[in-house]
Amino acid sequence: MSIQASYFDGKTSRRHQVMLEVLDGVASISGDASRRCPLPQLRVSEANQRGVRLVTFPDGAYLEVEDQEGFARMLAATGHTDTLVSRLQQSWRATLLAALAMAAAVFLLWRLGLPLAADLVASNLPPAVERRLGDATLQALDARLLAPSQLQPEQQQRIRTRFSTLADSAEDAPRFELLFRKSRVGPNALALPAGRIVLTDELVTLLADDENALMAVLAHELGHLHHRHLVQRLVHGAAVGAAGMALFGDASGLVATLPALMLDLHYSREAEREADLYAATLLKNAGLGPDTLATALERLGGDKEDGPAYLSTHPATTERIAHLRELR
Amino acid sequence: MSAITPATAPSFSTEHLVMVEPVSFTGTGGEYFRIWITNTFLSIITLGIYSAWAKVRRTRYFYGNTRLAGASFDYHGEPKAILKGRAVAVVLLVAYQLLSGMPGTAAGVLALLLVAALPWLIWKSLQFRLYNSSYRGIRFGFGGSARVAYIAYLLWPVLSSLTAFLLAPMAHQRIKRFQHGESRYGTSRFHFDAGVGRFYLLYLKAFLVLVAGSIALGLLLGSLLAAYSRRGAPPEAYRGALVFVVALYVWATLIYPVFSAMLQNLVWNHTGIGPHRFESRARAGRVAFIALTNLLAILCTLGLYLPFAKMRMMKYRLESVALLVDGSLDDFVADAQAGAGATGEGVADLLDFDLSL
Repeated sequence: MSIQASYFDGKTSRRHQVMLEVLDGVASISGDASRRCPLPQLRVSEANQRGVRLVTFPDGAYLEVEDQEGFARMLAATGHTDTLVSRLQQSWRATLLAALAMAAAVFLLWRLGLPLAADLVASNLPPAVERRLGDATLQALDARLLAPSQLQPEQQQRIRTRFSTLADSAEDAPRFELLFRKSRVGPNALALPAGRIVLTDELVTLLADDENALMAVLAHELGHLHHRHLVQRLVHGAAVGAAGMALFGDASGLVATLPALMLDLHYSREAEREADLYAATLLKNAGLGPDTLATALERLGGDKEDGPAYLSTHPATTERIAHLRELR
Repeated sequence: MSAITPATAPSFSTEHLVMVEPVSFTGTGGEYFRIWITNTFLSIITLGIYSAWAKVRRTRYFYGNTRLAGASFDYHGEPKAILKGRAVAVVLLVAYQLLSGMPGTAAGVLALLLVAALPWLIWKSLQFRLYNSSYRGIRFGFGGSARVAYIAYLLWPVLSSLTAFLLAPMAHQRIKRFQHGESRYGTSRFHFDAGVGRFYLLYLKAFLVLVAGSIALGLLLGSLLAAYSRRGAPPEAYRGALVFVVALYVWATLIYPVFSAMLQNLVWNHTGIGPHRFESRARAGRVAFIALTNLLAILCTLGLYLPFAKMRMMKYRLESVALLVDGSLDDFVADAQAGAGATGEGVADLLDFDLSL
């Protein structure tokens, strides 16, 4: 049995029309060029649907075979087997299994591995690094969004003292430092790495008549500190971003950023819930009741309507309020 | 599929004929899908180590299915060299991420070092890529020098940014001239003769397309805002913003393929090797249509269409190119000395590069 092939000698681009034949474990070509080579020294390219297959000699010269059927018969006769990966690639069933296994692996990594890793990194981060991270974040915020507070020092002191007492009532409250700032983006409170809580003048003014509500918001931020959410989120975001690029970066940068964005939003919704739960426990122990946070959220949310839940950083406020009311 | 047409230029011999040899691409979405899934799966369970082997498999699949004048291309990259390059890239990225989180000079110094090393890395990466590609058993190659690489990839981009990007087309022409003019096939050099004027024309066209699209988007946003502010309900306003964001996203997805199709035509219509010339006839409208339908299909199938999309675009872009063969393709000679420097360089694959073909 012999089949047609093109031979390229690796020295010039000339095509040599040859016939390929295998006898007693030795391949030989004849025609425009002739050559013999023992089978074990030849390398055969992977099978594919429509492309040609290549048979490469040790010195880089090679044969191009277009006759797929004849070549398959010849390979079978010589006992050649494709590599495992090559066989997997050619089979739809194996592909389906690989896809399912991959989906399971990605899901497990995302739901179990990633939070675990983020948690591990967050709680083992050297205090010096966390401190620097916190400093950098605060500097960036001060430069763009925040200005020095205009509240009276006495008022600041009163809020500090009251909240310290509240936080001390919990056994495992994280160390914190309360900072006051005037905000350019309205009422807000932020938990930064290394135990800083930033409280804006606007929030203090908004909740001026109900200091319990203010305490509830601060307790929520303390929850973020307790769970080290910000550091976790940094680690989490970097990991998901890298994975997205590795999987889809091949085809489109824009598509690759989508999963990271969606997952990050999901993750921060969970973080909000955790912080709510922490605050509720703290408030309950202090005799204020989880209702206080619900009230604060209602007043903060005001008449604003939230967008679709899957697109927002904070879970729809109404959903969170309902959750808190259930805790009673 | 080759046609015989007389050369348009007057020549010495009356037998002087030019054969049009179109590139054909036989890769299919279904087959690439299986390769993609299997290799991605293996990459995940080996925590990324297999990705170097996956890259070689994919590249060999692309090359092996690209045919020109009855012969296909082949790729010879060593997975271990690629793995080394990727390891270095990961270390650099992690170092940069860690340092950039801190105020101070360390991150700045590292960033500067990276920028300073970039032209050299790009040059090495081109050498690696081309040396490991072959056609009809003859390897490609890339010459050039560090000096020219720094002029093309550092000096010109810096000058361009200093002049409010008025020099960007000029910088782009210098980069393409470097990439194409320094490429070799065996002992023969490619030549590249697209002048700076043509790059300015290309940028002008692209700019006009961009402006037209932005005006259309602006009108869309304006009318949406007007419509929703009349109704006034906040959920409606959210929907309006969402429509605008989607439109912007689609627009951003279309503009790049259209530009790269125009660039491909410009660059390949001015590239040749020996007496042979290339011709590229990619149509911007067709490319935009493929990009848009690809995007829709990817979104509808939650990403499963990705490999099909890639093959579809690749097939169209490759098959718009033809080689105008003047005489015979049999006379190229391999360069016996080539490659000694390029193969060992693991870092050279740090940057993956698209040469548009």
